[in-house]
Amino acid sequence: MDYVRVGSLAELGNALGRDGATLIAGGTDLMVKMRAGSVRPRLLVDISRVDELREVSMHPSGLTIGSAALVAEVLASPTVSTNYPLLATVLRSLGSTQIRNRATLGGNLANASPAADSPLALLAYDARVTLAGAGTERTLPLHEFFLGPGRTALRRGEYIRSIDLPTPRTDWDVFFHKVGRRRALTIAITSVAGLIALRGRAVVDVRVTAGSVAPTPIRLRAVEDLVRRRELDGEQIAAAHATALREVSPIDDVRATALYRRTVTADLVARFLHEASESTPTSP
Amino acid sequence: MNIRFAVNGREVSVETDAETRLLDVLREDLHLTGTKEGCGEGECGACTVLLDGLPVNSCLIPAPQVEGREVLTIEGLADGHRLHPLQAAFVEQGAVQCGFCTPGFVLSAYALLRSNSAPTDEEILTALEGNLCRCTGYGKIVSAVRTAAERMRESP
Ligand SMILES: Cc1cc2nc3c(=O)[nH]c(=O)nc-3n(C[C@H](O)[C@H](O)[C@H](O)COP(=O)(O)OP(=O)(O)OC[C@H]3O[C@@H](n4cnc5c(N)ncnc54)[C@H](O)[C@@H]3O)c2cc1C
Ligand code: FES
Ligand code: FES
Repeated sequence: MDYVRVGSLAELGNALGRDGATLIAGGTDLMVKMRAGSVRPRLLVDISRVDELREVSMHPSGLTIGSAALVAEVLASPTVSTNYPLLATVLRSLGSTQIRNRATLGGNLANASPAADSPLALLAYDARVTLAGAGTERTLPLHEFFLGPGRTALRRGEYIRSIDLPTPRTDWDVFFHKVGRRRALTIAITSVAGLIALRGRAVVDVRVTAGSVAPTPIRLRAVEDLVRRRELDGEQIAAAHATALREVSPIDDVRATALYRRTVTADLVARFLHEASESTPTSP
Repeated sequence: MNIRFAVNGREVSVETDAETRLLDVLREDLHLTGTKEGCGEGECGACTVLLDGLPVNSCLIPAPQVEGREVLTIEGLADGHRLHPLQAAFVEQGAVQCGFCTPGFVLSAYALLRSNSAPTDEEILTALEGNLCRCTGYGKIVSAVRTAAERMRESP
């Protein structure tokens, strides 16, 4: 296996054109797969030192995160914790300190695990991804990027250049719950994230996402549509619970059964809405 | 291919390839066997070293990725025969049983104390969440880190 470290986007475009080229950023997914023999690259193209891929910057239309920015760097950015608290919350639960010091957002997305953590926040914030290749560039909504477990919209010779998040509402309340066997280093059995803006008990806007319950991380749009612009009361929360049960399509695997996943996910959706309704003053 | 990097403050040059992990270079080429291999897949933290000051799993890093960078292993912590306060506290508090996990724990704790001289127990647990121990039950490890932090604050 050959190895090349690229220093610029131009070099990267060229290197990716070579036969059997595989990108490596932090290597936290790739090294495990190479060791298991499920991936056998002929050429490793190391993007971890391309400065243009490492920026984390806030601008008038939102936040841009370079695909090779480390999870630890994104977490250390004050603009992320202030403006995108759900992203910070979700990333704090990714792996361990050691993993967060190597893992990148680009790697987390390209790996396309249905259980990945960062997509739960990124989908909720309506993130878009910019994909670049030798001389080409296109941007698509993150939900169109994921095609299935390990499958993405990336074409041969393309790489994720950046992730863009629009300017968020300032009144979002945040929810995240990951169910696993232990607190750290856990692949989620199921996970639910949410953003909600309330006026009194009325839902002004809401986003709900879930992991490990479908071939890709997903937005629970039927749940969102059901509760948006409605009063959050017990009946509405029960209806959202029932909708969530129908909207997810989990599978049985070594970590849990489909039935368990479906039930716990719906329970978490209900908990999210219930906690939000409790946190608002009950009098008008 | 040839890679050059610094280990415990010393420049080294090693003939290696992209199939070789930083862990193997440290143990096999440089004979720094304090760094251990437990799982080989990022789960246990026995292979923890500091890369440019940050704890990482050396089992997940292809050797060429450390070109030009600085690595600190457990061998680089003591001052001659004088143990680092963290190492001394681990010994005193019984935070070491079989010892296989210890280098990783000490390095994770060392990185924590460099950025936070008075961590809470919660912060200690977060810093150590990537390190597993089959023997001690963790309580003594956390108290060793707390003790070392106190002593290092008193006589920095
Ligand atoms: C012990 C352990 C615990 C983990 N815990 C979690 C967890 O809790 N939550 C979670 O979500 N993940 C977890 N992971 C998975 C992994 O750490 C993340 O997916 C990480 O973000 C991957 O980033 P990376 O830079 O290390 O990717 P790499 O391993 O370098 O790359 C992963 C894949 O993405 C491709 N790739 C990388 N960058 C790009 C790019 N810019 N454009 C196109 N393709 C690219 C690579 O070719 C490769 O196929 C864990 C992994 C380990 C080993
Ligand atoms: S050997 Fe590297 S984390 Fe277990
Ligand atoms: S002392 Fe034996 S694994 Fe920790």
